[in-house]
Amino acid sequence: MTTASNLLAFLGLVVTLLIVWRQSWPARLRLFAAQSLLLAALASTVGVLAQRRGLLLVAAVVVVVKGLVIPRVLARIGSGAPVRPITPGRSSGITLLVVGGLVVAAYVIMLPVTSSVELPTEGAIPLAFAMALIGLALCVTGRDALGHILGFLVFENGIFGLAILATYGLPGIVEAGVFLDVLVIVLIMEAVVVQVRREHDSIDVDRLRELRG
Amino acid sequence: MNRLVYGVIAAMGIVAAGLGGYGMAGGAGTLRLAWLVPLGGLELTLDPLGGLFLGLIGLAAAPASVYGMGDPDGGGRGRLAYAVFVASMCLVPLAANTMTFLIAWELMSLASYALVLHDRESEESVRAGWIYAVMTHAGLACLLAGMLLLGAEVGSQRFADWRAAAPALAPATRDLAFVLLALGFAGKAGVIPLHVWLPLAHPAAPSHVSALMSGVMIKLGIYGLLRVSLDWLGVGPPWWGATLLVAGAVSSVIGVLYALVEHDLKRLLAFHSIENIGIILLGIGSAALYRVAGLDALARLGLIAALYHTVNHAAFKALLFLGAGAVVHATGTRNMEAMGGLIKRMPWTAGCFLVGSAAIAALPPLNGFVSEWLTFLALFQNTRLDAVGQNLVFTLGIASLALTGGLAMACFVKAFGITFLALPRSDAAAGAHEASPPMRLAMLTLAAACVALGLGPTLVVPVFGSVAAAILKTPPSATGGDWLTLRVAGEFASLSTAAIAVALAASLLVPFAAFWILGAARRTRAYETWGCGRIVQTARMEYTATAFANPFKRVFDFFYRPSKRLDIEFHPESRFFVERIEYENPTRSIFDDWLYRPALELLQAAARAVGALQSGSANQYLAYILVALLLMLVLA
Repeated sequence: MTTASNLLAFLGLVVTLLIVWRQSWPARLRLFAAQSLLLAALASTVGVLAQRRGLLLVAAVVVVVKGLVIPRVLARIGSGAPVRPITPGRSSGITLLVVGGLVVAAYVIMLPVTSSVELPTEGAIPLAFAMALIGLALCVTGRDALGHILGFLVFENGIFGLAILATYGLPGIVEAGVFLDVLVIVLIMEAVVVQVRREHDSIDVDRLRELRG
Repeated sequence: MNRLVYGVIAAMGIVAAGLGGYGMAGGAGTLRLAWLVPLGGLELTLDPLGGLFLGLIGLAAAPASVYGMGDPDGGGRGRLAYAVFVASMCLVPLAANTMTFLIAWELMSLASYALVLHDRESEESVRAGWIYAVMTHAGLACLLAGMLLLGAEVGSQRFADWRAAAPALAPATRDLAFVLLALGFAGKAGVIPLHVWLPLAHPAAPSHVSALMSGVMIKLGIYGLLRVSLDWLGVGPPWWGATLLVAGAVSSVIGVLYALVEHDLKRLLAFHSIENIGIILLGIGSAALYRVAGLDALARLGLIAALYHTVNHAAFKALLFLGAGAVVHATGTRNMEAMGGLIKRMPWTAGCFLVGSAAIAALPPLNGFVSEWLTFLALFQNTRLDAVGQNLVFTLGIASLALTGGLAMACFVKAFGITFLALPRSDAAAGAHEASPPMRLAMLTLAAACVALGLGPTLVVPVFGSVAAAILKTPPSATGGDWLTLRVAGEFASLSTAAIAVALAASLLVPFAAFWILGAARRTRAYETWGCGRIVQTARMEYTATAFANPFKRVFDFFYRPSKRLDIEFHPESRFFVERIEYENPTRSIFDDWLYRPALELLQAAARAVGALQSGSANQYLAYILVALLLMLVLA
């Protein structure tokens, strides 16, 4: 169980780092779907090994909502946007360095947790937490609304992974509520982004500065 | 509909007055509804002081509501706010824990805010409402901080527990609680320099509401100050009383000085409210100082004076505001320079206004005289204190009360004379009409109250004495004297307003008696008024309010800092003929210039500095969240 959870969480982190590195929107979207599927795999692994049947259902919902529905909606949102929001030549090197720092920070912050918890999955907890932090960092560095949405979803995925690893899943009602929230947020953002694009011909966040009071 | 609503509110006022009278007479009662309000539940308690203020509110609300029935432009809109206003005021003196008190207090503030915004089209009203909202909420913040501090230190939000636990609190805590609560209540009472909202907000509301705001609502600030300085926190250090006394002295003089140069009738009355709050504070301050020194009889005297003046001010200020409302309604302006000659057109209103003016100017035998005399008595006996510093404070109080009395007299000579006497200064004043019957009834009731409170101090003072004894927790003493003469200060002084009234009435008869004895001719000859040799007498030749106030402006030049503007348009043919002269002589407020403007500029500078955080970049805002999260996780 330790090996399996460590491996899956590690793969999840790698995919997250790839999201940070890649600039092309369709590629990031595919990576997000892959991350969601990895988490679903993690959930079902933990569910089988720890005898939690509920987690299998959760994994199925993750596959449907985060693996299929949300990427499809995101693709629809991004269909009009340029594939790369930034000009070529400006790489994501600095961001990757910062994100690396966040992974270290995640280990430091989770040190008291991992040292006090006696779970077979404890080794993967900092990895999931790093995913959450990187999600927030993606929000911070996002150059358009799409980047923000993606960052938020990655953040949410990280929290989900953390919940599975630290407590073997949240109560069913909480889990259901969170899924619904995420879905609704994505749908609302779709409407907003479409509206913003119609009004301003762009979804670049820099344009928001004009709204400053 | 209008009449029904106001009638119900008036009836509610009378019921409240009855309940208050029951409380003053020693009746106590508690109502607890724990489920109604979170954090302590609704809790109402009737005690003598609360009963006194409840009765005051009820007795003022009844005539004000009757007036509202007959007020053609004050009714209609704002009925709900008015009902909430009266009801919440009734709850304030009954509240027995923090939550109940603050809810009632805030309801009262919000309802009066809505009433200040009565005339929503007028920019002046909107500004008044804005300043009122800011000041009242700054006061609420102070109250909230003070009450939560006390609640946390004592471990209970009930006022009764504070009373029991206060003597054991650390002095620093008590001092801090006193400062916070006193600031909050003083803001509502309109004590200088927290008065800026008062002269703006009171005139903006409809007149029956102005009467209640000035007559009763600011008295709830006094109620709070009484509770803080004498009741909740126990016996405090002398500087509490000294602060109140100095604040009273400053408020009374400065309030009347501002009133003197004010030509807006309702604003003039509002400034006089500040003055009278100052006089009340003189009584409270002296009571607090005497109490610390252990002079219980004198403390009671000071408190009786304060309570008496509180009630008196409610009576005559409500009367004056109602009279001013009738005048404003009849002439369509609040500017005194456009009035004049109204005594012939509105004799009832003029008569009532005259009674109110004489009362507020402290002329015997009316009620203002009695309470100011009692305040003087309380202040003069400071020689029995053995502290030079405190004696100096008392001397300041005496001097300012004397100055205030004289200036108030001058001010009401102006207010009554310019408004009601001489020839009308505008067409509107010439076409004025008498107030409607309900309005007259309301004014007559209050005028009768002024006379009764003036003639009957021997009946009223023992009642206030028992209330004062209940707050000071001293046994009620045999204050009083007989039915005719008031003896509240031992052998120091005594007063009989009934005797004064008889003497004054008799002196009116003296000339007639003299004529009769001398056998002079009693033939009446009708002839024109002597016009100083002028052929025609027009309103333009009359003394104006500006002219009346000008000598005072010169004497108190350092305070008013008037600026002068004189515009003369000469005749094109010759400089010796003038076509038009315009003279303006506005004063400037030292509080606006030296206190509020610098404070607001500082606030704006601070806001600009903090505003640098708000760059408009969504990424930066998200980065704040990330950094805050990381910091919290690392530090926690």
